[in-house]
Amino acid sequence: FIHILCVGFLAVSSEDPFLTSSSLPTCLPFASSQSVPLPFPMAHGTTTLAFMFQGGVMAAADTRSSCSGLVACPASQKILPIHSHLVGLTSGTSADCALWKRILARELRLYQLRHGRRLSTSGAAKLLSHMLHPFKGTELCVAATLCGWDGGETGPGSRGETTKNQMTELFYVCSDGTRLRGMLFSVGSGSPYAYSILDQGVHWGLSVDEAKSIAREAVYRATYRDAYSGNCVDMYHITSKGWTRRNREDLKEEYYREKERRKHEKTERRDVTFSD
Amino acid sequence: MALEDVCSFKERPVQHKWFSFSSLGDAAIPFPKSDYYNLRLETSENNCGVPLHFFIPPLPHSSSFINRPLSSFCPPKNSMTVQRPFRLAHGTTTLGFIFQGGVIAAADTRASAGGLVACPAVHKITPIHSHLVVTSSGSGADCMLWERILIREIRLYQLRHGHRLSIRATAKLLSSMLHPFKGTEMCVALTLCGWDNGPKLIYVCSDGARLQGDVFSVGSGSPYAYGVLDRELRWSLSKGEAISLAREAVFRATHRDAYSGNNVDLFHITAQGWIHIALHHIMLAVKMCDLSLLCHYYVQ
Repeated sequence: FIHILCVGFLAVSSEDPFLTSSSLPTCLPFASSQSVPLPFPMAHGTTTLAFMFQGGVMAAADTRSSCSGLVACPASQKILPIHSHLVGLTSGTSADCALWKRILARELRLYQLRHGRRLSTSGAAKLLSHMLHPFKGTELCVAATLCGWDGGETGPGSRGETTKNQMTELFYVCSDGTRLRGMLFSVGSGSPYAYSILDQGVHWGLSVDEAKSIAREAVYRATYRDAYSGNCVDMYHITSKGWTRRNREDLKEEYYREKERRKHEKTERRDVTFSD
Repeated sequence: MALEDVCSFKERPVQHKWFSFSSLGDAAIPFPKSDYYNLRLETSENNCGVPLHFFIPPLPHSSSFINRPLSSFCPPKNSMTVQRPFRLAHGTTTLGFIFQGGVIAAADTRASAGGLVACPAVHKITPIHSHLVVTSSGSGADCMLWERILIREIRLYQLRHGHRLSIRATAKLLSSMLHPFKGTEMCVALTLCGWDNGPKLIYVCSDGARLQGDVFSVGSGSPYAYGVLDRELRWSLSKGEAISLAREAVFRATHRDAYSGNNVDLFHITAQGWIHIALHHIMLAVKMCDLSLLCHYYVQ
């Protein structure tokens, strides 16, 4: 764990006076040493999703942390705010994700202090991708979706006039080197179930309430079918004013409501005779 | 085929159409004929005593196996595996669900082999008899074979006993026929969709699973289809709504899954039998709905 930390820092900022005097080894982790055997097989079960629409970016995720069959935590937080206008959704190993989110937050804050403006989401994604690059081929597994609003406070004027909101950005960054910009992403074991719901309903002209309900429905459907997703749903909405968080909602209620409805249908069904 | 069995037409085993081991040039080793498939159904007196002459490829654990030459079914333990020409991929989207108007079975029509679309117009839904249809997933060759075997067995039962085997019994029969192949590389996942005193939907898999339910979707595109189906499936759907829901579910799966695509095949099974949905009843005047056209329709 210590080795990962130090190599990460060295790769990022060579002019940092604190680290050049460190005596920690500079080799890549796990390059020639035996891998530490994992105590249990890691499972990357989750459902996270994010999409852009006219009202900003909507991000939603479930809250179950699983550990190959055990629900390690039913109330974990997979959407981590990085700064007031950037939110990261995490999937993969939760330990790695929490660490890298903190490293990213630190680097973005340092950038802001040094340069007087916030780094754009595209820049943050590129930074994260380059920071994760030395770990390609190792067992690090981070699949983050960065959702942000680029303010352009003191930036060049060309960003000022936009017809569509080009200020919202959505990037998917993965520890195997992928870095993709898009309008809709869903990551995790429950993502196929969510994708079909999102593909059906997401379009640019959604209202905020419609976007919330479709995000919630997509996470609910994924938790319904996927064993590694479940418990509650978290939703964040990112706009020009920053991110706002909706109260965490327990999907158990929705599940029981649906169960009641199906039970009701079954009793109706028994009354109907099987005619043509 | 069925008729010659009923008439006890004794063919020499080496000339049997399937699994002719004489072609392997090894007629010397006697093959145990009657063990595996002595499917004696309940009224064995009526059953002319003809066991299923089904020659199973030698399985690795059988003792007569070690001396056999290399066979393409299951390689012997102490020789090299036959190299596959391409990686078998089980990419497909098939689904079936029950509603008040019967059973709907839908599937895409793409057969993939690794990254190649081997055939863009394959029929994954096969009628077994007038009230039973089976959707197949897994290895295309295995599925086609087992569908034919199932058709044969169901027909034989009907001829011997004068009534049709129930769908639950059909599923049990299929499952027990597939059981000896558990642990081999055979991969067959069939969903029996039919009507006998009510709509029935049973999923049978070569792993041994046999499940009855109200909605099943099988294949690499199945999670995408499940998302759509779970959301909108109700008992009280009308026929038109059910058909468009099935098409929508397959469409969403083909949109995201690389191994599913091309067209959608739809069957509707009611008490009167199965109907292959010809789309001039719905919207378009083609037999199998072309998904690229559907994409334009949905986008608008």
